[in-house]
Amino acid sequence: MHQALQFHPSRAHTPDVGALVHAGRVHSAAFTDSGVFDLEIERIFHGTWLYIGHTSEVPQHGDYRTRRMGRQPVLMMRGGDGVVRVLMNRCRHRGGMVCEGDGGNAKHLRCWFHGWVYDAAGNLVQVPGVEAYGPDFDQKAMGLAAPPKVGEYRGFVFASLNPDVPSLDQHLGEAKPVIDLMVDAAPAGAIRVNAGVHKTVYSGNWKLVGMDGYHVHYVHASVIAAWNRNPEAGIAATHRGDPFDDASASRTRDLGNGHVMLDLTAHRMSHYGKFSEMLLRTKGGAQYLQQMQDKHGQERARLLVSLAGDPHVGIYPNLQLINNQIRIINPLAAGHSEVTMFPVLFEGVSDEINALRIRQHESFYGPAGAGSPDDAEIFERVQGGMMAQVNPWIDISRGMHREEHAANGVITGRISDEVTQRGQMRRWRELMCAPENAQGSTGGIAPGGAHCTGPETAQRPAPEAVQ
Amino acid sequence: MSRTADPAGLGLVRGIEEFLYQEAELADAHQYPEWLALWTPEVLYWVPCNADEIDPAHQVSLIYDDRPRLEERLFRLQTKHAHSQNPRSRLTRTVANVRLRDFDPGRGGVVTSRFHLTEVRLDRLTVWAGRQQHRIERHEGVWRMREKRIYLVNNDSPMGNMTFII
Repeated sequence: MHQALQFHPSRAHTPDVGALVHAGRVHSAAFTDSGVFDLEIERIFHGTWLYIGHTSEVPQHGDYRTRRMGRQPVLMMRGGDGVVRVLMNRCRHRGGMVCEGDGGNAKHLRCWFHGWVYDAAGNLVQVPGVEAYGPDFDQKAMGLAAPPKVGEYRGFVFASLNPDVPSLDQHLGEAKPVIDLMVDAAPAGAIRVNAGVHKTVYSGNWKLVGMDGYHVHYVHASVIAAWNRNPEAGIAATHRGDPFDDASASRTRDLGNGHVMLDLTAHRMSHYGKFSEMLLRTKGGAQYLQQMQDKHGQERARLLVSLAGDPHVGIYPNLQLINNQIRIINPLAAGHSEVTMFPVLFEGVSDEINALRIRQHESFYGPAGAGSPDDAEIFERVQGGMMAQVNPWIDISRGMHREEHAANGVITGRISDEVTQRGQMRRWRELMCAPENAQGSTGGIAPGGAHCTGPETAQRPAPEAVQ
Repeated sequence: MSRTADPAGLGLVRGIEEFLYQEAELADAHQYPEWLALWTPEVLYWVPCNADEIDPAHQVSLIYDDRPRLEERLFRLQTKHAHSQNPRSRLTRTVANVRLRDFDPGRGGVVTSRFHLTEVRLDRLTVWAGRQQHRIERHEGVWRMREKRIYLVNNDSPMGNMTFII
């Protein structure tokens, strides 16, 4: 194997990224510095597993969706053999993208620069004037490139540009049964991601999407006021009572590997009665409840129905399963991010139940929803505020003194505790500092490159100690 | 006015234009109760997403409001904590290319038009544009809208905050 040649213009100026994260606080350069951002693309988005899409988005031979892995364009496509692949969206000849737009169906992908044609499995099937390449031209080896690692869990397709990553199974770890909470809420044990997408942008860092149980009473005060008028309007139906009260049974959880969760399970179980009444008033609701009970037994069925397919989990770094949606987070620049939201439908329920899920999603999410524009608004305000750097630290210490650590490594806190932020930033630091990650494609950290000397201290240091 | 005096129905068109202009001005000014009063009891306020022709039973929209959802939207915007409309968007829209389709002068029908809306908020200027389709009916002797569909030219693009009345 020859050494890949890479050029890293920003490395000489990269700060000590390890020193940006302490146990209860983070330096705002992690959110505002473009050198840190470039390193995040390399070490996180080109360095670990990313969510690409769901197999149900491409049910037929030739169906494809275009996606990004960090800065790299890829497509997810179903071949004639029925296999869903992730392929680099780049012609092997001179680099033209072979697909444009969000997606579609094509049995063949033709690069219209010079007419090279690939089939839906990525094989190069036609080269105009192929004889001009001589006898050594190996057309079989000239198919579309693929990320070195691709894996799937329950239809969720992941890929890694770094070959040296743990298995997808290890990466997902404790998050797998949480993903199950979404998929098993469908009586057929399968979800369908074909209801379109909300695409949103904001002028703020990608990490601000986070996973936060503390903001709801403040950022979403107007939504809560509306929910109080009608407890069945939109996603009020699944947020009855106040799941974001610290006195509630809701919990924050750090599942490991940066995967974090607002665990609303116990709170929602207590409102199973009201929620199932609403389902019974919806066509197909009684059948749904019966199917769930038959398949999962009473206890698990109550859990799955109460949660309504909402594990409220973030799978680090770019996937979130929240309420009725799959959400992809795309970093564009240190202060610019895109969030795409795909409503999730259930296989095996009535059209009315799925339509209700779409209406619930629209009520809160998307550019004209009641909730997500206010989230984007505060992210932009935070991005602006973080430019004030006399004291550059943001505080994520809430609830540190009352964390519960389980034997399986899961850390639990009250719903407003910043367990989730700490879990994400711990993973951020691991990935940003991991030498094997830096080696992924370049064979080691360049001299003068990023280094990680500042330890993540267990105790929060006094502010003056780090000035 | 007799049909012979207005063979092209321009008086009728002018009256419908006046309705659309009033609707546009009330939306621009965030006069929510007055804007809501332009609707019939039954409401469809619909902004499709990803494409113009979608099936809202199976596809997500940017807005798909019946009366309860629309009233909730306006209620929320009038609370003190609708952050993404604080400050409010400054809006000015032009409505043009007004054409009547399947329109009965007595009962009403479908009106299509184009709009061009400039938004300024927090020193950022955003242009919104598209087709709109109103279903207008006589209600208690005056024109009211029963449906407003907005086909944004960019309904398949990433977008920021569209929490004002489009």
